[in-house]
Amino acid sequence: MSTQPIIAVHDLRKSYDKLEAVKGIDFQVQEGEVFGLLGPNGAGKTSTVEILEGLRSRSAGGATVLGFDPDRQKQQLKDRIGVCLQATNLPAKIRVQEALELFASFYTRSVSPEQLLKRLQLLEKRNAFYETLSGGQKQRLALALALVNDPQLLFLDEPTTGLDPQIRLEIHGLITEMKAERRTVVLTTHYIEEAERLCDRVAIMDEGKIVAMGTPRELQQKSKSQSRIQIICNQPLNGDLPQWPDAVECMLGDDKREMTVHSNRPARTLFEIMKWLDQQGLQLEDVHLKRPTLEDVFVELTGKKLRD
Amino acid sequence: MKAYLELIKIDLKLALRLRTVIFFNYLFPLIFFFTFGTVFRAGQSASAVTQVMTMSVALGVLGNGLFGAGIRSIQERELNILRRYKVTPITPGPLLVASMVTGWMIFLPYIVVLLSLSHFFYHMPWPQHTASLLVFISLGLVAFRSIGLVIASVANNMQEGTILVQLLYFPMLFLSGATIPTSAFGPILQIISGFIPATYLVKGIKGIMLQSQGLLALGSAVAAMILTAVLGWFVGMKLFRWEKEEKIRASAKLWVLAVLLPFLVMGVWQGLHRKQEPAVDLKSQAIQKTSAPSGSALAP
Repeated sequence: MSTQPIIAVHDLRKSYDKLEAVKGIDFQVQEGEVFGLLGPNGAGKTSTVEILEGLRSRSAGGATVLGFDPDRQKQQLKDRIGVCLQATNLPAKIRVQEALELFASFYTRSVSPEQLLKRLQLLEKRNAFYETLSGGQKQRLALALALVNDPQLLFLDEPTTGLDPQIRLEIHGLITEMKAERRTVVLTTHYIEEAERLCDRVAIMDEGKIVAMGTPRELQQKSKSQSRIQIICNQPLNGDLPQWPDAVECMLGDDKREMTVHSNRPARTLFEIMKWLDQQGLQLEDVHLKRPTLEDVFVELTGKKLRD
Repeated sequence: MKAYLELIKIDLKLALRLRTVIFFNYLFPLIFFFTFGTVFRAGQSASAVTQVMTMSVALGVLGNGLFGAGIRSIQERELNILRRYKVTPITPGPLLVASMVTGWMIFLPYIVVLLSLSHFFYHMPWPQHTASLLVFISLGLVAFRSIGLVIASVANNMQEGTILVQLLYFPMLFLSGATIPTSAFGPILQIISGFIPATYLVKGIKGIMLQSQGLLALGSAVAAMILTAVLGWFVGMKLFRWEKEEKIRASAKLWVLAVLLPFLVMGVWQGLHRKQEPAVDLKSQAIQKTSAPSGSALAP
């Protein structure tokens, strides 16, 4: 198997007049990886992705995508990648199958429209006009169009923004399928749970820079935030709570049955709590362990919320 | 080639699915055709029906070119449709070719309908150079669609585009002889008319219809259409924008002057070598019923 990265970015910069949108970023994406770019609006992720898609020229630095220079080999690159844009449209009166046939004609290699319609559950809508499709169906068609050339690399720009949770889950399923097919996916998203669930690695961008990069778990572990252990007992707890190992803060709820403990080493703390509850003769009704999320990591690193 | 054919096929289907396209390409000009026909008593003289026919063709070409190509292109950009094409390996070339071919394929039946109506309804003899007429009208259509594409390229949004189209459409309509014969103009208006692109379209059609001229005899009109088409195409390709966010540089708008250059030159030339056209009384012309037999050349 080739170890050559699918995407290699070195000191990439992009300026719009006096505004420097991307300030020298470096990263690589390996084959079969789902790589997430997380960041608030204006972080520079769209500029980065559009440079890699061959839609914008970089101001400085280097980038290769599938071995092509996105600045100089735009057409060859576009022929090999699939792109699902966030803000896009098709003519109102084009039929679903016609759109697929039209876009298939732009590429040197293409998948049969029937196959894609079936896979994206659009077979029944093949003769429907674009204007009559629901938001979810339009997004499925956008994904079908991104797959029409059977690309090795896919760029998905906010693929689930504005969709209801059910459709979002369907799209997640499709991205998981793409991953299973060993396609490389670059995903930009606002949704933390999407990145945590789908991405092998995530780069967090802020003000044109990558402020952290790694697997979601690695990033969570790097966080200075503590895990939160929440315990509900069958009867109220009496007296003061002990100081458990590695516990930073303990709080008792108003009904004295619910207890929240923040810990740096949640597994060890939880084990000690269980032992203590057993010694007290208390029954456990419910327990939750919540690790720091990517959102916590993001806030910690940038001082902002993702949707700022 | 596959992309070109597929784009033409889809463009044609999309155009025929839109009621506005059918209305503005067929019904709307026909309303004018019959209105002009009634006003100018088209049934009473060959020159009157030819004038009516020329007006209707010019109206159709202007509408198809400026509104059809120009406004539609801006609409597609504003709706982010072109943005979707941008991420594929396609270049502006096939999109512009498809737009041009589709516009021509939709317009040509209208010419056939107009000729037939003029012949059967107003007894206009068939033109002697039908092929020349169709070729010249096609050239005119390509030229005005190219101007439409240039407008689409320089207009930053629909509002700007509509203003630009109107600024060109109405002077072309009224000062080119498309609605009012230039012979009815005073000397200053006749000079101004020499700078209007549509004047050469009207002159060419009248030359073929009324004077039985072939394409070669229409040198300046044919040259103006070809040059406009080539320059318009070149500028349209050069300034083509896929996204509404891509704003055009003010300096790039100077390219538009390049498209209008042939008309500036021809306007100056016409102004210097101008002979006052004799005033024409359309009403009295219309009363003189022609005796030209069907199938013969039209009387000038």
